[in-house]
Amino acid sequence: MISKVLLAIGLAALMVVTGFSSFIYLGAQHSRAAKPPETPTQATPRAQAFTLPGTLFLVQSGAIYSLSAGRFHQLTAEQGWTQPSIFPDGSKLLVVKRSFFYSDVWVLSRLGRPLSQLTHNIGPARNPDTGVKNWSFYPRLTRDGRTIFMSYDEPKFGYEVDMSIWAMPVAGTIRQARVWTNSNPYTGGDMQPVPLPSGGILYTKYGFGSDQKLGQFVWLTTRAGAVGKALTREGDACAQPALSPNGRQVAMICTSGKQLSRLVIASFNGSSLGALKTVVSDQMVAQPTWAPDGSGIAYLAPAEAAGGFQLWFLPSAAYTPPAPSPSPTPTPTPGGPYSGELSSPSPGATQPPAVVKPIRVTSNVGFDATSPIAWAP
Amino acid sequence: MPAAATALEVTGQTVSVPSPSASPTLLFTPSPSPSPQQTGAFTVLLLGSDDDSKFSSDHVLTQSMILVRVVPSTKQVTMLSIPRDLYVPISTGGIGKIDGAYSYGRAAAAMATVSQNFGVKINDYVWIGLLGLIHVIDVIGGIDVVTSNPVLDDYYPLDINSSYPFDYQRVAVLAGPQHLDGTHALQYVRSRHNDLQSDFGRSQRQQQVLLAIRQKAKQLSPEDIPDLAKAIGGEVKTSISLSRMPQLVALAATFDDPDAIRQIVLLPPYTHGGGPGGSVRPNWSLILPLVHQYFP
Repeated sequence: MISKVLLAIGLAALMVVTGFSSFIYLGAQHSRAAKPPETPTQATPRAQAFTLPGTLFLVQSGAIYSLSAGRFHQLTAEQGWTQPSIFPDGSKLLVVKRSFFYSDVWVLSRLGRPLSQLTHNIGPARNPDTGVKNWSFYPRLTRDGRTIFMSYDEPKFGYEVDMSIWAMPVAGTIRQARVWTNSNPYTGGDMQPVPLPSGGILYTKYGFGSDQKLGQFVWLTTRAGAVGKALTREGDACAQPALSPNGRQVAMICTSGKQLSRLVIASFNGSSLGALKTVVSDQMVAQPTWAPDGSGIAYLAPAEAAGGFQLWFLPSAAYTPPAPSPSPTPTPTPGGPYSGELSSPSPGATQPPAVVKPIRVTSNVGFDATSPIAWAP
Repeated sequence: MPAAATALEVTGQTVSVPSPSASPTLLFTPSPSPSPQQTGAFTVLLLGSDDDSKFSSDHVLTQSMILVRVVPSTKQVTMLSIPRDLYVPISTGGIGKIDGAYSYGRAAAAMATVSQNFGVKINDYVWIGLLGLIHVIDVIGGIDVVTSNPVLDDYYPLDINSSYPFDYQRVAVLAGPQHLDGTHALQYVRSRHNDLQSDFGRSQRQQQVLLAIRQKAKQLSPEDIPDLAKAIGGEVKTSISLSRMPQLVALAATFDDPDAIRQIVLLPPYTHGGGPGGSVRPNWSLILPLVHQYFP
């Protein structure tokens, strides 16, 4: 049995050789590393006085929480609930319930009460093959509320398991569902569909790029079975698209292959994106979500290096250019043009606009960064 | 299987790769070659084993083998993942997959095998088992990783704390930025069934997790040591001596630039499949110049 001292030395060595910078930092007084996150309803300090409009639904440890008027409420127990989205009429939630071997799509009331189970991915009870079970992830309803788009792991062949985007009638079963996308084999596939008003979908597609490196793309497919096209370049490595309320902008994350993810927005005309504009660059951003009233973008990111994922809000002023101030209109002067000395413009007119930074809404929690934020008006 | 043309995977420091083909495989912006004057540089072999209950504790393979070179003078770290299935002469005799060397002669055989085949002087080793990795990550409170793609595996081994270690479970580690506990981090780095690049893809994920552990470790303090030591009891072994402890601790505090970490994975054409027993054959004419450039 190796002694504790030697174990500590071994760990220190591991950390040194992997580049650890300040392990056993002698000036540190208290460990912050292993501090577990608090639940949103108990976290201190509480959600800041800054109040977001409407109601947000977020996930931590398999439980769904709502945030409304600055207060969190726990809607479900910690039972694998994740990836909520709002019904178009705002009346209910579409949610995934994840179990050890499979996951299913459920409908919950806005207060978290299970109403119906839409998929049954557990597979035949008497078949011990783990491959007969299925995953459903990231369900989203079309605007008419009649069709669910989701990532679903069919077709699959032995060890090859990839998610494709499927469309399933809300009132139907998975047997009535239709596969929309052809995922690239052995990549993980196609994830996080966003139904478009035009009938197509945006989603994240994983695939091997020109140099055979595995990459990710924001992808557009306009009809079932169509190949579609990449809206972002390989080198940008963008994912998790979110459509703005007016449908004219897309927010997403882009990693460029790094272990950081930028918050990026771009204009969207229904078939292509405009120039990508990075609006948050120094965080590990996840799940950007537009405020229904267009007032900004919420997202998840650690507040400090390697901390739990917190809720942040970026006001629209951070990415919307200020409206140009009206040009001074010459005032007609009785008696003809003024010929005297012009007054200097006021100093305030030439000052650059104030930098608008993201607002951290929570502290000490640990939201599930693989679960999109649902935001109801 | 489509050829994975990428020979070298690097984040952070930009690197020029010797071209194996007529058209140069220049994956990254060239940077100055490592200086031959690397005072105090040392090389450590990181070994990771599936030490689950399918194996006897003294006869395990090392599915993860990463050579790490630390250059204190330039504050640079280079990580080279060695394919576990690489078909090479084993230091204890015979030819086989390189991950078997440890089972024949423990760390000494693994070090000697790597050293003899790659022509690299290895100063020390650190070995860690499956449970050790889980426990280390859990004790430090988990890690934040930008996972590169969804990792889906319908036949992931259910062999940890299992009464029947030959059973399977389903795994779905979703993609993107996220917080991983030890169990899910292990799933992310261990699964290889649904990866076109198989062990090569897994090697890239292992390096991502190592970097995430490094990031999280910045928040550790001395009071964490007892818990860490307890967590990894029997699951970490090393050749590093007690006398080097102060030196390593002091050195650790000087490494703070993630862009100074090179990551290398030996994809085809540096290696190619078709070896005996599903092994991978090395293309030494390409590998050795690359290795000697970064592990002089």
